[in-house]
Parts: sequence; C-alpha cells; structure tokens
Amino acid sequence: MTDDVQAPTAPASAPRQLAGDDVGIVSPRDFIHRGPFAFKSGQTIQGFTLRYETYGALNATRDNAVLVCHALSGDHHCAGWHSESDSKPGWWNNLIGPGKAVDTRRFFVVCANVLGGCQGSTGPSSTDPATGRPYGTRFPFVTIRDMVSAQKLLLDHLGVAELHAVLGGSMGGMTAMLFAIDYPQFTRRQIIMASTANESAQAIAFNEVGRQAIMQDPAWNNGDYPREGGPRVGLAIARMMAHITYLSDAGMDRKFGRRKRESAGGESYTFDAQFEVESYLRHQGQSFINRFDANSYLYITRAIDQFDPARAYGSLEQAFAPVQAESLVIGFTSDWLFPPEQNREIALALLRAGKRASYAELSTDLGHDSFLLESADLYALIRGFLERPEAYVFDFAI
Amino acid sequence: MRTRVEKRTVDMQVIGEWVEPHSRVLDLGCGRGELMDYLVQAKQVSATGVDLDFGRISACVARGLSAYQGDMTEFMRAFPDRHFDRIICSRTVHELNDPAGVVLEALRVGSTVTVGFVNHGFWKNRLGALFGGRKVRNAVYTTSWHESRPANPLSIADFEDFCREKSIRIARRAHLLGDWRTPCRVLPNLLAGYALYDLART
Repeated sequence: MTDDVQAPTAPASAPRQLAGDDVGIVSPRDFIHRGPFAFKSGQTIQGFTLRYETYGALNATRDNAVLVCHALSGDHHCAGWHSESDSKPGWWNNLIGPGKAVDTRRFFVVCANVLGGCQGSTGPSSTDPATGRPYGTRFPFVTIRDMVSAQKLLLDHLGVAELHAVLGGSMGGMTAMLFAIDYPQFTRRQIIMASTANESAQAIAFNEVGRQAIMQDPAWNNGDYPREGGPRVGLAIARMMAHITYLSDAGMDRKFGRRKRESAGGESYTFDAQFEVESYLRHQGQSFINRFDANSYLYITRAIDQFDPARAYGSLEQAFAPVQAESLVIGFTSDWLFPPEQNREIALALLRAGKRASYAELSTDLGHDSFLLESADLYALIRGFLERPEAYVFDFAI
Repeated sequence: MRTRVEKRTVDMQVIGEWVEPHSRVLDLGCGRGELMDYLVQAKQVSATGVDLDFGRISACVARGLSAYQGDMTEFMRAFPDRHFDRIICSRTVHELNDPAGVVLEALRVGSTVTVGFVNHGFWKNRLGALFGGRKVRNAVYTTSWHESRPANPLSIADFEDFCREKSIRIARRAHLLGDWRTPCRVLPNLLAGYALYDLART
C-alpha cells in the first residue's frame, strides 16, 4: 500500500484569499490497496484506489479522526480549495474548518471518494488490468458495505485507531450507519443526516428513471463506451430529474418562481429554455456530464437502492444491536426524498435497541439538500455533539 | 427568578429519590435536559428525553444526553410495552393537548409513570383568582395570559379524580407546601403548592 500524492495545482505555501476559518489550499491523495478485494457480491478485484483528502492532524492517541461520507454525486473534496483560482470550495466547506462545527484544529478530518465512484477512486470507469480498457459493467456490483470496508482499509492505513465520529448526509448517512454496525469498537459517534435505513418505493422509482435515461441512450452501449464519450444525454437527463428530488416545491418557488430568462425575450412559442428553472436544470445536467461517469451513476444508485439493514439482519433493531456509537440523526422538514419520518425511524430503532441516540429536525425549504444548509442552529447542534465531554457508557442491548 | 430555580431543584430532588439507580428513564417535555442531567449524575440512569423544540434538543445533545425532537405520544407509540422503567412528566401535564391519552400511553410503555404539577387548588392560587379576578401569576407562572401557552390548570383533587376514573393505581404521592419543600400532611388540595405522583397500572 502506498500513498501517491497528486501533483498539487498550487503551491501549498501560498494560501488563497481565505476566511480565517478555512482549511485553505488542499490536495487530494491516493490510497492504493494492493491485493484482492472481495465485494459483497462475491466478485473480486485485484486492488483498488481511493482518492481522499485530510484536514487537521491525527493526535498522539490516534483517536480524533472524523470520517466524512459523501452522497451519490459527491466526492472526497469536502473542504478547502484546490488552487488559488478555484471557483468554489469543497462541498461541505461551510461545516468543516478551523473553528467551524467540525473543527479541524481538534479533529483529523478524512473524506474519501467511494469505491465505485469516478472522482479518482476505482470504479467502472477505471481501467480493468485484465483488458486494458475501462471495466464498464464488468465492474463488480458495489454495495454500501463495500464502500465502508474500503474506507476502513484507508483509515487503517492512515493509522486511525478509533473514529471520534463518522458523519454524512443522504448516502453518506447510510455509510455512517454501516460503519457503526460493522466496526462498533472503532466508531464512537455517528451523525446521520437526511438519510434513510431503506429507501421508499418512490426513491427507488426516481433512481430507476435515472438509470433508464442512461441505459436507453444508445451511446451507453451496455456500459461499453470510451472515456470521453458515453451516454451524455441520458446522464444529463438523469441528473436533471434527480436534482428536482433534492429540492422542494417551496424552495424552487423561492429560488426561481416563474421568472423567465432575460435572453428569452418575449417569445413564448418555442421550446428553448424560457424559465429560469429550465436553464438551471439544463446547466446542472451539462455540468454533471463533465464530472461524472454514467456507469458510476448506475452502480451507486443501485447500491443506495439495495441498502436495507433491516432486511439483512431481520430487523433494524437487530442490525443496530452491535452499535456502540452514540448517534445523532438529523431530519429536514422539506426533505421529501428521505423525509423526516424515515430519519426518525433510524433514531427510534436505535433507541429501541437500547442505544444512545438523538433526533433533531430543522425547518428549511431546501429539500433533501438541506443537510448542506448554512445554519447556525445546525452548526451548534453538530459542534455540541462532537465536542461534548465523554459520555457515560451504557449498553442496554436487547 | 431565584425562587424559580430553587423550586426546580426541589422538584428534581423528589423525583431523584423515587428513581431507581441504573433504570431506563424517559422524560416527557425534557426541556434543556436539567432533570435528565441530574438523574444521570445522581442515579446513573439511562435517560432519553422528548421535546418539540429544536433549541432544547440541541441543548440536551450538547450535554451528552439522548433527546428526541417530536410529539411525545407518537414517540411512545414506537416502543413496546414496559420498554422504560419510568416515564416522567414533570410540569408538562397541564400543557398537553390530550393529557389522558399521554398518561395512559405512558402507563403502557413505562412500568411507572411520575407526574408532577403545580396545584392550582393551592390557597394562594384560589385567593389570587378570587381577589385579583385574573389569571394566576406567580414565581412559576410569570407571564400574562396573552403571552402564555395554552394550559389546563389542574388541582390535586382534579388529578386524583382522574386516576380514580381511569382506574390508575397511585403507587406513591408527595404533596409539598407552598415552599415546595416541606411535606404537606393535611388538606393537600388547599395547602399543597406542588404535587408529585407515581402511577402504575392496576
């Protein structure tokens, strides 16, 4: 196993014009696991790469690590900037940094692109050493558990003895949940946000429409397409539709309403983008195809659909039986993809299993994406959970 | 304000005496977790609280307590019979939409239910209403009617009537005088300022 540092795009000694609570210029690194890795499906690959970033420093007792888990289309770059000219920071920059809710002066923050992803970690777009071509659909089926096992290997490699906390929103919440189940001695706290212990039929349905948009695009070609090509139309449509499920009715009305684009002029009788919401979604679709692989989209949405610890263990309470972590579950009122009730159910099942768990709910109109909310209330809640003094240990497992 | 804080402490001490060490406790209307914090420290209980307000849940979490934001009846419905050793409903019962529903559900989910409330039959409260002709205001109820939450003020007699009507067994009671400290032995509905009950199913 080695660490290959990517060529930094900017000298680390020249910090960007940054706020004092920013982690500054960061560089991703690659963790390369050499040796076979067996997926839950039974399939095996000969090694894999996880691209990751870290902020802050691991302490002497190696127990101050906080693992951040990203959602479907997220990546390892959750805070800081890649260069001075970077147009935007990591996706959770508002939460993570020196003095922020996840304080990098106290915690060693780790975030990795998931196995099966396409932002530098091994996935369907990686080269299959057996053929010299991208794996495509020959890549093994990926589950959330496989993502967790791979990230545990990374944490072992980094010398992390215990996770102070694991946190994530949406699919990241599922990842956190499985960390606490699979590595109970290792995981001391978990924060699950805007997530679910099993997707509703509606959420599976939306994922399926996304997959069909990709697979019905002739350029998908059964997953066999060149790196620069592929089902760009299908992937853009999948993203446009999915993006609607990340917002809310009220939020979209507030952000776009029925406003028309200035360039649309007075012409109504055309199918060009007239409304701002149309051009917004088209932009979301277009920017997505430049950074995301269609096969990864299929694999990761499938992993999310399959996630169902209640079915795997007989019940959610039995799934949570080994958990030692203290849990904080956070729901958002306007999230209709993974609605508050599904988040409540996670907390209630943990409590029924005799675990220490809290549930808090924030009122927002930002829909499923609310977990990325800039909110002093949310920051105070997370900081309070992460920084409180060591709690008493109880285990009333049934 | 000082009186108020002291009175809160007295309430905690009585409940603390009744709570069994290491038991599993649910606090309905847990607020910012003062009572749970006390019980965890004094009796090493495993405590969970329920409250409607985000800020109070956040305060509990920062204290290292388990707390659930939501409706207390819906919360209790998610648990099997006798999941909790004790359910505490301290100074909350008069603000509930369906007090009977909450108490009966608590008697299903908890082995023992502790209810504490300010006795509105207390002579000072009666005189206040008689002579002032206005909503009772005192160290506990400091606000005027238009800045108060909807409330069902109840007396000790009201509560005991309720228990009789619903065939709820009163396992233990504590009536405290107006100082909320000295036990009240006679005419509690008139002389007690605060009442605490341990309820059980018959």
